[in-house]
Amino acid sequence: MLERAAAATCLAIEGLTKRFGGFYAVNDLQLEVATGDIHALIGPNGAGKTTFFNLVTGVLPADSGEIQFEGVPMLDTRASRRTLKGIARTFQNIRLFPHLTVLETVMIGEHCRLFPSVWQSFRAAALQPPFVEARQERVMRTSALTLLEFFGLVDKRDAKASDLPYGDQRRLEMARALATQPRLLLLDEPAAGMNPHETEVLDELITRIRDRGVTIILVEHDMRLVMEISDRVTVLNFGTKIAEGNPKEIQRNPAVIEAYLGEDVQL
Amino acid sequence: MFDGLMDNYTQSILIFMGINIVAAYSFFAPFKTGQVSIGQAGFMAVGAYASAVFTQKFGLPFIVSVPLAALIAGVVGVVIGFPALRIKGIYLLLLTLGFSEIIQVVVLSWDYVGGAQGYRNIPFNPRTLEWVVVIVVLLIFFFGRLERSSLGRAMDSIHQDETAAEVMGIDVVRIKLFAFGIGAGIAGVAGALYAHQATYIDSTTFNVMMSVEILTFVVVGGGITYWGPVVGAVALSLLPHFLRTLREWLQLMPVAWTDFYPMNKMYDFLYAFLDFENAKRLIAYGLILIVMMIVRPDGLITRDSLPRLSFKRWRPRHA
Repeated sequence: MLERAAAATCLAIEGLTKRFGGFYAVNDLQLEVATGDIHALIGPNGAGKTTFFNLVTGVLPADSGEIQFEGVPMLDTRASRRTLKGIARTFQNIRLFPHLTVLETVMIGEHCRLFPSVWQSFRAAALQPPFVEARQERVMRTSALTLLEFFGLVDKRDAKASDLPYGDQRRLEMARALATQPRLLLLDEPAAGMNPHETEVLDELITRIRDRGVTIILVEHDMRLVMEISDRVTVLNFGTKIAEGNPKEIQRNPAVIEAYLGEDVQL
Repeated sequence: MFDGLMDNYTQSILIFMGINIVAAYSFFAPFKTGQVSIGQAGFMAVGAYASAVFTQKFGLPFIVSVPLAALIAGVVGVVIGFPALRIKGIYLLLLTLGFSEIIQVVVLSWDYVGGAQGYRNIPFNPRTLEWVVVIVVLLIFFFGRLERSSLGRAMDSIHQDETAAEVMGIDVVRIKLFAFGIGAGIAGVAGALYAHQATYIDSTTFNVMMSVEILTFVVVGGGITYWGPVVGAVALSLLPHFLRTLREWLQLMPVAWTDFYPMNKMYDFLYAFLDFENAKRLIAYGLILIVMMIVRPDGLITRDSLPRLSFKRWRPRHA
């Protein structure tokens, strides 16, 4: 545990605020995520967890505050540039590309690593002779297959993404996000809609992703999963942090119990 | 190259078919990123007038004027593309429509390019058919290559879910702009070829109906794969001629078969109906569009139909 305490900060959030009209979805949020942690973000529905993800990945602009990723301020950076810098995410309501195959979906994630600029990708497209598979395509295909193997989807590589069963779609989203080679991965309810067996597999998957050197922020309602795998838990309510600590501390925290179960509950 | 091979009539049919293929590809490029434009005729007008001015007023050869026209149309496309980035769907449609209307008014009121009298005496290019063949082949190669490339896949992903593509690190803004610019440039080529074939253009040549026709080519042929625009443009360009051939065949029918009621009435109706010269062509297109939307909304050529049509050895070998 000692080296973890000394570990560097991966993501630092300072006074982050996002309003929708008069409603504060995220309100003056402070948060620090240590490199190499699985950091869970929990809270009742509407607590601002998904909005927080949208702010960190640049899908939504923040009203005020500061987001620093590995010491670099991120707020003025476009979403695609943030992905290039190493932030990737999955979506709570699955957003795969319905007409692409499983393999192509993962290769989309790899695109930004091989072709950081449009000009490079255009040159690769225009200058290769037709009817031949380009070298970069082969590289992408090989590493995409490795990733699919990691997620157990390699047999379904030629299936359409929208034809996959729900659990597979969730894992494909994770594979696509990992294909961008992130150093910070934001998982938005990865266990939603999964059966207990799939959730158990997911447990192991997330830990293995962390072991590859990816810091993970996890939004999840499955408390068994959260308490089992996370190193640190932050509880949000009404867009602000109400508690933070390791899983054991959080389970005993009266503010958390109140937020989840209402006031005056005797446990 | 094709001189002894065919008469002028056939040649002009093939040329306009080829120009339609080029125009269809100009719609296809931005459509691949999900941008629907009905301003492609406006970009064709830019290319046509630019190439006409370069050749007639500056005396440049076609080999210089046509690429220059494409470049100018492409630059105009990128300029139009910037505001187009922020808007989607029906609003983008209206923006491109507005652009092509503006172009029409500009050429109508600009005396340097003929104003209301139209642009006359544009140098005729006797080699247009060769030009068209080369350009269409190049376009098919380019879009075929694009489809098998990472950029093409990125464009598809933008079409399907823009936010997800952006979060996966795809540079949505630049790729959309690039696609819009490429499409406009290709439209410029189509317009330039048109100008040097027709030798006369005016503000009504490149009207909204032409844009709608271009859209119809891609919708009927299929906007998912790169063969779709070719198939759509070829089928719909040849359709009026085919219908008129039917009319000629009708005349071969022995008079005795139709010389009584109600056959004579039906004959007269069919004979009049099959005269698909200009405006009536659009009736046929409209009907086909409606039928296609019901029967095959993705167009004639979809991704599933390609492997069935292609030779196995042409497909890329999988690693």
